[in-house]
Amino acid sequence: MGTIVTKILYALLTLFIVTNYGLILSGVVHKIGARVGRRHGIRFYQPYIDLIKNYTFRTRITHGIMYYIGPVFRLTGGIGLLLFLPVIYGSPVFDNFSFAGDLTFVLYFQFFGVLGMALGAGESGHPYSALGVSRGLAQTTAMELPLTLGVLALAVQYHTLNIHDIVAAQQGSILHWTLFTNPLAAIAMMLSFLAMMGRSPFDVVLAPQEIPIGPPTEYHSALLGVLQLNRAIFPAAKLILFMNLLFGGATNWGELIIKTFFIYMWSVFVGIAYPRFRVDQSVRWYLGIPLLIGVAAILVVKYF
Amino acid sequence: MVAPIYIIATLLGVAFGLGLFGKKMNSSAGFLSLLALGFASFISLEWLAGFWLYDRAAEYIYTAGFQPPFSINLLMGKEEALFTSLINIAGFFGAVYLWDKLKKIGSNGYVTLMGMILGLNVIIMTRDLFNLFVFLEISSIATAGLIIFSQNLRTIAAGFKYMLATGIISGILLLGIVFMYYFTGTLNIDDFLAVHSLAVKGFGVAVFFVLIAIVLELKPFPANGWGLDVYESADSGIAALISAGTATASFFVMYKLLPLGTPQFHMVLAGIGLATFIGSNLMGLKQTNPNRLLGYSSIGQVGLLVTILGLSEFLGERTTFIAYSILISHFLAKAGLFWISGIVKRSTIKEWAVLRNSRLLMILFGVFVFTLIGFPPFPSFFGKWDMMLQLAASNQYFWIIGVLLGSLLEGVYLFRWLGYALKLDNTELPSFEVKWNKVLPVVVFGAATFVIGYFVSSIHPYAKVINYIPLAVALAFVLIDFLPAYVKNTLAILAMAYYYYYLYPTLSSFGAVFGAIFMVGGIVTLIAGYAYKGQRRGFYPFALMMFAGLIGLIEAKTTIAFFYAWEVMTVGSYFLIIRGKKSMPHALSYMIFSMGGAYLMLAGFAIASVGQFNLDMSTLSHVLVYPTWVFILLAVGFMTKTASLGLHIWLPGAHAEAETDVSPMVSAILLKAGVFGLVTLFLAMGDQLIGGEVSVIYLLGWLGAITAVMGNLMAAFQEDAKRLLAYSSVGVLGYILFGLSLMSHLGWLSAISISVTHFMFKALLFLAIGGVVWRVKTKEMYRMGGLIKRMPFSFFSVLIGIIVLAGLPPLSGFSGKWIFYNAIMMKQWYLQGALIFFSGIVAFLYTFRLIHSVFLGQLKDEHREVKEAPFWILVPQYLIIGVLLFFSAVPNSLLKPIGKIITPYFPVGALDWTGQHAVSPFGYWNGLVIFYIVVSIFLVVLVWLIINNRRAQKVKQFNIVFAAERPFKPETTHYAYNFYAHYRKAIGILVEPKITGWWEGVAEWAHAMGDKIRKIYNGDGQSYVIHIMAFIVIIYLISFGGF
Repeated sequence: MGTIVTKILYALLTLFIVTNYGLILSGVVHKIGARVGRRHGIRFYQPYIDLIKNYTFRTRITHGIMYYIGPVFRLTGGIGLLLFLPVIYGSPVFDNFSFAGDLTFVLYFQFFGVLGMALGAGESGHPYSALGVSRGLAQTTAMELPLTLGVLALAVQYHTLNIHDIVAAQQGSILHWTLFTNPLAAIAMMLSFLAMMGRSPFDVVLAPQEIPIGPPTEYHSALLGVLQLNRAIFPAAKLILFMNLLFGGATNWGELIIKTFFIYMWSVFVGIAYPRFRVDQSVRWYLGIPLLIGVAAILVVKYF
Repeated sequence: MVAPIYIIATLLGVAFGLGLFGKKMNSSAGFLSLLALGFASFISLEWLAGFWLYDRAAEYIYTAGFQPPFSINLLMGKEEALFTSLINIAGFFGAVYLWDKLKKIGSNGYVTLMGMILGLNVIIMTRDLFNLFVFLEISSIATAGLIIFSQNLRTIAAGFKYMLATGIISGILLLGIVFMYYFTGTLNIDDFLAVHSLAVKGFGVAVFFVLIAIVLELKPFPANGWGLDVYESADSGIAALISAGTATASFFVMYKLLPLGTPQFHMVLAGIGLATFIGSNLMGLKQTNPNRLLGYSSIGQVGLLVTILGLSEFLGERTTFIAYSILISHFLAKAGLFWISGIVKRSTIKEWAVLRNSRLLMILFGVFVFTLIGFPPFPSFFGKWDMMLQLAASNQYFWIIGVLLGSLLEGVYLFRWLGYALKLDNTELPSFEVKWNKVLPVVVFGAATFVIGYFVSSIHPYAKVINYIPLAVALAFVLIDFLPAYVKNTLAILAMAYYYYYLYPTLSSFGAVFGAIFMVGGIVTLIAGYAYKGQRRGFYPFALMMFAGLIGLIEAKTTIAFFYAWEVMTVGSYFLIIRGKKSMPHALSYMIFSMGGAYLMLAGFAIASVGQFNLDMSTLSHVLVYPTWVFILLAVGFMTKTASLGLHIWLPGAHAEAETDVSPMVSAILLKAGVFGLVTLFLAMGDQLIGGEVSVIYLLGWLGAITAVMGNLMAAFQEDAKRLLAYSSVGVLGYILFGLSLMSHLGWLSAISISVTHFMFKALLFLAIGGVVWRVKTKEMYRMGGLIKRMPFSFFSVLIGIIVLAGLPPLSGFSGKWIFYNAIMMKQWYLQGALIFFSGIVAFLYTFRLIHSVFLGQLKDEHREVKEAPFWILVPQYLIIGVLLFFSAVPNSLLKPIGKIITPYFPVGALDWTGQHAVSPFGYWNGLVIFYIVVSIFLVVLVWLIINNRRAQKVKQFNIVFAAERPFKPETTHYAYNFYAHYRKAIGILVEPKITGWWEGVAEWAHAMGDKIRKIYNGDGQSYVIHIMAFIVIIYLISFGGF
């Protein structure tokens, strides 16, 4: 019993740290984006203000049960993904629930929230919600291919699908990172990572700058608050996953924050530099060079 | 025992006696004729019984007490008894059928009929060549007389052409007889047989003339235009007599004289037969006149029989069994079909929809079609089986291909016809008159197909062990078809449950898994049948027949029993599929693919049997000749059922257009028959190498992966909800094929467990969507929307179904995905594996589309009052959901037993279970813990949200953020049509219907060929004569080495 309570408490601690980190990261990245565009930008703590604002709204509406629990699915997906990952290498307590499933499980579980949310958005009856989902799913299919090939290449390289073991194999030197030991797989996965983070040129799914579109279109108040919370946690969890797979993991929170920040910046740089793809363009793009790199990664690990 | 001479005496006597009858005594003339024919039948049947039951010796009858060659002698042996019985029975029932017509013609008609039957009897019994000639003439003239009794221009022309052709044939025959007499000094057939090796060149030519004349009597392709015209224009009752009587007798003459021919001539004969069989059936494809179509089929079947005779050296002692079983099937079916045609009186096969007005005749029509093509339990099934086995044993693969090809072509037009009769609209058509004297013969012959089928199987050395009880139960449901649906449903469920209870202790290994899918699955889907009101006629016999076939597959100990069950299942499922409103073309393509697949299997089993001592299924594990081919043939045969890419085009239509509870039966259960076949095959034969290098199973792995991707992609682009689910089945079956192809413990674990879960989620989805379609009366998803408000229970079913289908944790679908990853890693099939995972993600596309377009989005005005799906359709869904949730929480309750079954075959690489924690060489996964964690987080977040948002106000449908406007038309606001337009733009090129186009091309090419070839039949008697002469010359040159 004691171990379970300890587990839960540490899980909550992890959640607390990562949520705050995610919120701040989101504010900082907004700020950076604005500055690159020669605007003043928001304050880095603006996400906190938004969150509080949304939770305290007095107008609250719902379109039905599925609509209501859509955000619950979404946040469950985000929190779940985080808690199923080993966060700090070598720290049993920050391993959280990673004993329950390996890399395959984690890769599949990331869709749990996405699809649940899509269902909720669907019930709102807003055509733009459905349109956003349709775009998102289409892009995901293409984006997953290089990612899957990369992950398979990793699994071949390390002879395991256990994330602990993959991190363990990268310890010792920076040159042990997958990024250097298996560059093709890393490139394929990092290209997929761009779409996973939902930034330009792959952000037509949410189209955050202009008209409201995408799954959250109809959400507001506390429901939107839940989504915003997830928007802090989910990307952070994905960053931790990529850090573990490609960049040697982290042995302490400081290392984690530095590494994930720079991993995130990769998508920020690309996003600021490149204009947006239409969905059919992004699908074709992923089925082009990134796919070939992924196949090359497989062939390299299989035959060399 | 009445002496056989009385057959002749009676018929002749009555024929002469009838001349004394006046015009007003037509009825008594009729009765007398019937009496005579009945007596003749009695005599021949008595002899048959004597030979069969008491092993009597054959008896010679000498005219005037002289011995041949000074007199004519007749023989009544076992075979003569059989054939005269057939002729006389055909004559008797033919006369019953023609009662009104003959009565109108008067005693002349009866005399002519007697003459014909008499002639045919003597043709069969005589041992004298000249006598044979004389009675051939008598029956020809009588036949021509019967033909032209129908006084119209067409019949007179046909009768004239008939006389023209038979005149030439007789001339040739007479020429041959004259020369044979010249060389041997005898006319007795038995004497010829003794001296036929006479080394005189001219004798060979004489024999050739005799034999070619008999061949021409059998209407070989292409010198048979005259025969076709007769079939087309004669009265159906007469055509029935020609097809059943004359053709049968002519066949026997060929059989009798066959030993005269050299082995080389036998091969020529086989070639003529096969060309006729294929040619006729090819030309039949474009034919729309029912009687001419039957003519093509008749000529084709006789061609097949000639092939059998020609190949008798290869068929050995089974020749008689093969020839007789096929002949009797043809005899019964063709007479029956011509008779039905005469009752229906429609000049194009499309108008046969009117046949549905008479349920009895409709059933009989179906029986005859299946008899003709050689489906079980009819006699020709066993004949074809033996024929293939014997041909394979003699290395005669060319003939196997030819015969199966011809059979397939015949199936195409017969099933198209059956489909028309079953499905086309018949409201505008005038109904037909059903008279008892016309129906009685059809009923008798229809019943005889079953009786003789059973008899034939009982004398077959391997068929007698087949378990007929399930099929008999299914057929028994025909008798109680008048009961209300709920009674029959209960009985059907009880029957299945009892049989499962009875079978359960005997099931082991994979049989247990598939037995559960077939039988428990069957019971669960049958529950939905309570939703139907009324009698639901014709459903239960075929549903149970399908399940009888499925059970038979599991029970089968021999290859023949397996094939038998496979065909029974095909028949049952065909009738289930064709029940859908728009199912006609889809049922046809289902049937054609099924037949094609079945023939490949037949060829595979035939080759596998070569050199074996028995037909046990275990012989597959030590195939002696061409094992790679056996493997490929059987695998492709099974894959027509699993609808692997290239063989999938029948599936979407067939599954989508089927009725609400039929779709889950055929999609969730029936496809598993193919999987079971593949499992059996892979276990028995292991992998095979093409040319010693390329592994077949490796190729199948790629095929499976590509099928998975393509099936899922095509599903994503469907507008029709049931079609979407059908394509999804194609995809999932691709997964299963891939998993089996991995040939490893984990590969099979995933394949078999997906087979089980696919049954559950696909049955769930088809039932749920079927329930929705039941209420909203459309299958187009964009016409629905927002139905979650009206049908929450169906929504929940679909939700669970798609989560399992998509393989999302924490539900049980994920176990399959997880095992797959590990299996792929261990097998090192990374690229195929990536395709499989790509297809898994594509599955999200269509699952979301399905649930969104139907249940979410905007509710349509016309659906505001729609009710939840019927209760009885929901019941099986919630049973399945219960089991699915249990398997999700406790995954090893499913995976561990399956693993245990697989371990004996694939001991290496099994999962290591600790409670619910599974460990593989690559990773680990604990379904129960994940279930708990995810549910806990979900509940915590939900409570957190409710605390924050407890007073949320429910708003109305159109109250959305819509550029400050209020949308008022659900149709324009519901984003559903062409949901993945952008995706289609990106990769639509992959899903262009290239394969469908290819198959359509094949079909069109075959039809065009048939159409072109049949142009040679221009209806001109002179052309027909030229055909005959050219035919003789060409065959002569072939036989005597002129070419």
